[in-house]
Amino acid sequence: MADDVKSNPDDELTAEGGLPDGDLVFKAQQGDLQAFDELVERYHGKIYGLTYNMTSNREDAEDLTQEVFVKAFNALPRFKGKSSFYTWVYRIAVNKTINYRKKRNRKRALSLDQFDQEIKTDDVYHDLTAKGSPLRNLSLSELQKKLNEALQTLSEKHRTVVVMHDMQGIPHEEIAKVVGSSVGTIRSRLFYARRQMQTELTEFMK
Amino acid sequence: MSKPKGRVAAEDPADVLLRQLLHLKKYERPEAARITRNKQNIMREVREANSQKRWSLGDLLEVNIPWFYAEPRYGIALLFIVFAGLQLWGANSREESRNRTGIYMPGSTVTSYEQTSAIATNGTSYAKLPSNFHLFPDTPQGDSSIKFVGRLEEKK
Repeated sequence: MADDVKSNPDDELTAEGGLPDGDLVFKAQQGDLQAFDELVERYHGKIYGLTYNMTSNREDAEDLTQEVFVKAFNALPRFKGKSSFYTWVYRIAVNKTINYRKKRNRKRALSLDQFDQEIKTDDVYHDLTAKGSPLRNLSLSELQKKLNEALQTLSEKHRTVVVMHDMQGIPHEEIAKVVGSSVGTIRSRLFYARRQMQTELTEFMK
Repeated sequence: MSKPKGRVAAEDPADVLLRQLLHLKKYERPEAARITRNKQNIMREVREANSQKRWSLGDLLEVNIPWFYAEPRYGIALLFIVFAGLQLWGANSREESRNRTGIYMPGSTVTSYEQTSAIATNGTSYAKLPSNFHLFPDTPQGDSSIKFVGRLEEKK
């Protein structure tokens, strides 16, 4: 899945016709709030997706997304451009989410976004609900709950890797830059996390 | 995600199934209204933060001369030059102010406490008196062997 995603997200965004991230960051550093608004527009979905899948709670995800962008704005004068804005803001998001969870020190109840009806047109969904599949008799909401619960059993580090790679399609190298580990460590965490999730979802794995 | 059917044979079925399940999570989508509100909240907070922002000297330097931070060696070299310049300027001003104000520096005629020997011996060190120093009036009849130990009484 991840291999299908472009390795440099900045290129992808620049190709759409907007200003490159670097230019927007420079303008925002000079006090141009319109430029920062553009960056928020560009990365809100990804940061929300990360925080939502890390917490499985949409209210927490909204709060965290807000905190991430406000922190990024306040720290913008110290952003040197050694990494892309995308990597930098992701790093803030990962650290904030992990700290947020530590502070809470207990599991929050799941509060999930609805599945889009578009899911019913997905081939993978059809395969999973086909005759003979253990998922055949499971409702969408039950499936969603099981999946999120399995995700929440992972440690923060393992969940981060699964969310970024298997859900958001970010390549190993980018994840390594964000979390500050080697590519080998990322692969190893991913392997372990998948095994643990398979154990949690063992009833569907038969 | 591309449909993984082509790779199924080469992969562990459990891995494929997990990947398919995780793929479904991308259909969990927040309500558009909530997202719009969230973006508005972010920008409102950003505007507030911006209006209350007090730029420190460091921030101003970082924004206006980013090369200073991006290339630390140039920054350090510049700091060294500035420091050396200030030293030179300070030394000149000290000399100049001394000349201008006309402060009299008596030199060798002034007694001074010998701090260095006091530190070395940890004992009391007495100042050396200059040769032209007279603590008491002249000795009687100019006899230098007589030591005067008392106080001079005033003549009545």
